[in-house]
Amino acid sequence: MNKKAKWDFAKYGIQLLSFVSIAIIFFIFIFVFYRAWPALKVSGIGFFTQGGFDTQIQDAFNSESGVKAIPFGMLGLILGTLLSTGIALGFATLLGIGASVTICEFLPAKAARLMIALVRLLASIPSVLFGLIGLIIVVPIIEKLFITTDLQIAYLDQFQMSGQNLLAAVIVLIFMIVPTIVSLSVDAIKAVPKSYRETGFAFGMTRFRVIKKIVLPSARSGIIAGVILGAGRGIGEAIAVSMVCGGLSFIPNIKLGLTNLLAPTLPLAAAIVNKSEAMGSAPVEAALFSCGALLLLMGAALSIGAGIIEKRMRKAAGYNA
Amino acid sequence: MLKRKSHKIDSSIGNAYSFLSLAIIVCVCLFIILTTIYFGRQAISLHFLSTEPNPSALDAASGGILTPMIGTILLTLIGIMIAVPFALATAIYLRFYSKKGIFLSLVKSAVNILSGIPTVVVALFALVIFTQPMFAFLSAKIEGVEGSNMAYGKSFLVAGVTMAIMILPFVIKSMEEVLKTVPESYIHGSLALGATKWQTISKVVLPSARSGIATGIILGMGRIVGDTAIVWLTLGGTLRMTGNQPWYLPGNFWSTLVNTGSTLTTYIYYTSPAGEGNSLEVAFGAAIVLIAIIILLNLAATFIAGIGELKHE
Repeated sequence: MNKKAKWDFAKYGIQLLSFVSIAIIFFIFIFVFYRAWPALKVSGIGFFTQGGFDTQIQDAFNSESGVKAIPFGMLGLILGTLLSTGIALGFATLLGIGASVTICEFLPAKAARLMIALVRLLASIPSVLFGLIGLIIVVPIIEKLFITTDLQIAYLDQFQMSGQNLLAAVIVLIFMIVPTIVSLSVDAIKAVPKSYRETGFAFGMTRFRVIKKIVLPSARSGIIAGVILGAGRGIGEAIAVSMVCGGLSFIPNIKLGLTNLLAPTLPLAAAIVNKSEAMGSAPVEAALFSCGALLLLMGAALSIGAGIIEKRMRKAAGYNA
Repeated sequence: MLKRKSHKIDSSIGNAYSFLSLAIIVCVCLFIILTTIYFGRQAISLHFLSTEPNPSALDAASGGILTPMIGTILLTLIGIMIAVPFALATAIYLRFYSKKGIFLSLVKSAVNILSGIPTVVVALFALVIFTQPMFAFLSAKIEGVEGSNMAYGKSFLVAGVTMAIMILPFVIKSMEEVLKTVPESYIHGSLALGATKWQTISKVVLPSARSGIATGIILGMGRIVGDTAIVWLTLGGTLRMTGNQPWYLPGNFWSTLVNTGSTLTTYIYYTSPAGEGNSLEVAFGAAIVLIAIIILLNLAATFIAGIGELKHE
């Protein structure tokens, strides 16, 4: 009898704790969207298609009390997030695949282990340190190499050009994303059976051909998973990016070409950090929550995408998912 | 003949590209570590590690990083102590008690999505939730403002609970993975011997998953130690402890917990050119300590995981 009671206690305890944590997880979703709703409703479709966040946030802060939300145009922030993460992801993927091929295929086991430890170290360096080093090293270098007085004068009517720009954000993000890609790619490449490679060699293929035609295609799903996780890290990175991005939501202009890289930017996550000091006013709060809601949506899309890819790959490999 | 030659060129370009990529990554990693040590080495001293930060224009009088260090440790302990029971229970529930269906897959995908959630979104969420009057016991009630009965919403307890919420999905996910690695035969064997489900879980599953669980906990701790956004928004912007002084007396413990402070990450931020301090030396000095803590945590995780592997062999 006593034993039975104890069993029930454990069961209900576990149920209680897990329902609380599941409830919290769902509550975050609901709450963020609930708080974002006023801003989304007032802005309508212009939320995604209009710019002007910088002046709107000022207006929101100075608005009279009682105003719940004012229209916002987040296009600059959305493009800032997509561009900074997208470009960084491209470079990080290139670097990451090359590095993981070297680690798995070319280096002796001991050196490979050392390299993996270094990559792990890079992964666990806190974002504030990435931001700090970006600020005191990357930003001045960009300023010296690319920013001339003529260029500054040419864009004076649009923004103050400095070393804090999209390019700096991209460079910092590349190295924050790359460890994720490397560690998942290394696992995936290691999981490719040896016999696959030997078959390739037996056909007289060079080492490089074997890697390109056999190893990498077989490891594809793991590499893609790494890229998606890396994208998640890039989108959500707030502190480091906010330190080097310039803090202005400039909407990139196709006519400017590569000069866009030298314009300041403000991704969604960085905007939350940058403007959080003005949280006391209701319209600002609604606007920042709408940034949060967009981030959640992007995260959800990435995670669903990862799920679909995983399922497809499993099917292709012949498992029953 | 021609084809063969192109393969050769192809091959050498490919090799060069692969080695170059690894070299770039390794160089950047070493560069970050060496820069940190280079700028911060002058700051590290016993005095730096054992005094509180002090507002002063004089470098010599500006104090050290004692309270940020204590803050980091305190916050990590609070966060992990709250998160682990919930996460472990949830993982056990999802693995052993829940029935397959829409609810289970919904929960799993929610955990999945939130395990990659930007911490700044959690911080934003916490900033609004914990200023509600019902959570005033975690921080303090705002006084002297007419018509306001909101809570202050910034304290070690608030930040700790927020950290717990932040790592909850991540720890649930890693615990789930760990529980999956326990061989089915162990569980079936135990059940076949007449053990109840709970006996099986507590006597068979958890002990054999012990090292994996420990690794998950340490990885969660690493996340808390390295986080800046949550600390920034929910711990208040003070470098010193703001509870009853002196803060280190046991009698003032609770008052310290419900008041503001800082951690190493925010200390680095505030003393960097991006914050107000602009004194690189102490910022990098604090960064050295932070990296040392993180390396220790990583080593502990590797060590414990190694023990687990040995046992399985």
